[in-house]
Amino acid sequence: MKTDLAIADPDGFYAAWTAAHQGLGESESADLDARLLLLLANQVGDMAVLLACIAAARRAGD
Amino acid sequence: MAETWKFAPAYELPSWPFVAPPELASGERTRHPVVIAGGGLAGLTLACDLALRGIAIVLLDDDDTVGVRGASSRGICYAQKSLEIFDRLGLYDRIRAKGVTWSVGRTFSGGDEVYAFNLKDESFSEQPPFINLQQFYLEWFLVERILALAPEAIRWKHKVTNVEHRDDGAVVHVATPAGTYALEADWFVDATGANSVIREAMALPVNPSRSTDRWCITDVRFTKSFAVERWTWIDAPFNEGRAVWQHLMADDVWRLDYQMDEDADPETISRPEVAGERLRAQLGADVEFEFVWIGPYGYRDHLLETFRVGRTLFIGDVAHVVCPFGARGGNNGIQDAANLGWKLALVVQGVAPERLVDSYHDERYAAAAENLRVTSRTARFLAPRSAHEHRMRRAVVALARTHEFARRLANTGRMAQANVYPPSPWAPGGARSLQNVAVGETTVMRLLADGTRFLGLWIGASEADLAALRDVAARWPLIVRSAGADGDVARMLGVGANTFVLVRPDAYVAAELVAPTAEAVESALRRALSLETESP
Repeated sequence: MKTDLAIADPDGFYAAWTAAHQGLGESESADLDARLLLLLANQVGDMAVLLACIAAARRAGD
Repeated sequence: MAETWKFAPAYELPSWPFVAPPELASGERTRHPVVIAGGGLAGLTLACDLALRGIAIVLLDDDDTVGVRGASSRGICYAQKSLEIFDRLGLYDRIRAKGVTWSVGRTFSGGDEVYAFNLKDESFSEQPPFINLQQFYLEWFLVERILALAPEAIRWKHKVTNVEHRDDGAVVHVATPAGTYALEADWFVDATGANSVIREAMALPVNPSRSTDRWCITDVRFTKSFAVERWTWIDAPFNEGRAVWQHLMADDVWRLDYQMDEDADPETISRPEVAGERLRAQLGADVEFEFVWIGPYGYRDHLLETFRVGRTLFIGDVAHVVCPFGARGGNNGIQDAANLGWKLALVVQGVAPERLVDSYHDERYAAAAENLRVTSRTARFLAPRSAHEHRMRRAVVALARTHEFARRLANTGRMAQANVYPPSPWAPGGARSLQNVAVGETTVMRLLADGTRFLGLWIGASEADLAALRDVAARWPLIVRSAGADGDVARMLGVGANTFVLVRPDAYVAAELVAPTAEAVESALRRALSLETESP
């Protein structure tokens, strides 16, 4: 799992992510993020990386 | 106006007569190489397999018929590996003639198709990917086949009451309408099903669990014509957004299986008027239908920790129960039997040492654990446990309409395939199933149907190559054939010319040897028989 920044334009990505949620209610936004997660997971593909990401996300919420 | 509901006449099942056993008249205790308790799919398949191998068997069944009393049918889907086994046992033609052959499955969400598969695309076998047939028909065909091979093998209305497990076998106590008696077995096989009292008396851990998910099977005959395919709805509009299964079996009977509310009352949901309303919602107002059977059920599963305890073996539901998704229940009982049959036969005949039977546990426990994992994942997809899990599933379904990858995440059951066995001392590379492919003018299963022998398939071998193996084949239970370099064996296994494929009597590949010598073939064979573990 990469922990160094790999996104070329981090502020631009964050802006696009928030923009995608414009005008959506809480539930629709959560649905969008779930779809987004699946699309991104398929870009990664590698099961070991995916499991490491799931574990890291869970840890960061503790 | 209230609708009246029609029921089809009950299936007419055969019954066989109770015959007082000879032990009751003589008062003598007899000893048998193999005694099997339980005449369901697993027990009958093993009995048939051993009878064909010339092993004397006794099968004790507490009933005098097939099927389950009060239930029209349980299992309905028989997978390719099972059908290949039945081809070898000599009853496939009856199954094909009576059953419904299919290979296409479709999954829907609401009114849209999400995902489809055609299992024929990956099939090389003479047998189709699946045939649907009511379970009791299959048991019926098995009984008639066993009776043709060994007329006195099945003892009806013989209930096993107690088993004494000993180092060299078992003493089996039996109750019959004419009195009680005991018989001895070198090997005892418990195939009495999920609630085996034999297993329970041994206090063996099975790690059971039950799901809160509720379903109601409705077997029904109607005039409307549907595609002969497996259709599943993740969330059917005609079932209040819950899952539905739709499948055809013999006698034009459709199995419609409806997911219910978790707190639904089993008695209420299976009343004809309630089941009838569900059918009306799916079929429309004008379709005439009659019920064959209505049966509510909930999921349960268990996995016995060891399938062998001394000279006692456990096969079928007694050892493992999973959710019905993907037809991984009955098919695995059948495949337990096929895995065990040849091993018991060779041990009883003195060809292989007793430890070969340990590999039955190693291989079939691994298969059962895999089936439990696979079916549990399907169950979780079909019954999300929280609002968030519903959201995750919604994301899959939404993407699946337009994105190929997401279709593979929609999980309405992963259809049973012949499980791959993990590496073991007797199969260092693990073992995978060889489908029933053509070998020259014959097939793998026809070659394996005669006795209990391994099959050596040498890709592109000449007559001289085969002649070099003549001595090995004479010393061991082995037949050797040449297979074409671009034939089905090579294509299915992905092996090249000059590879020697050692196929076990259950059509699993024990070894693949490139440019084999007679010594290497003999060594691989000895290892597959558990006579040696190391290459010389």
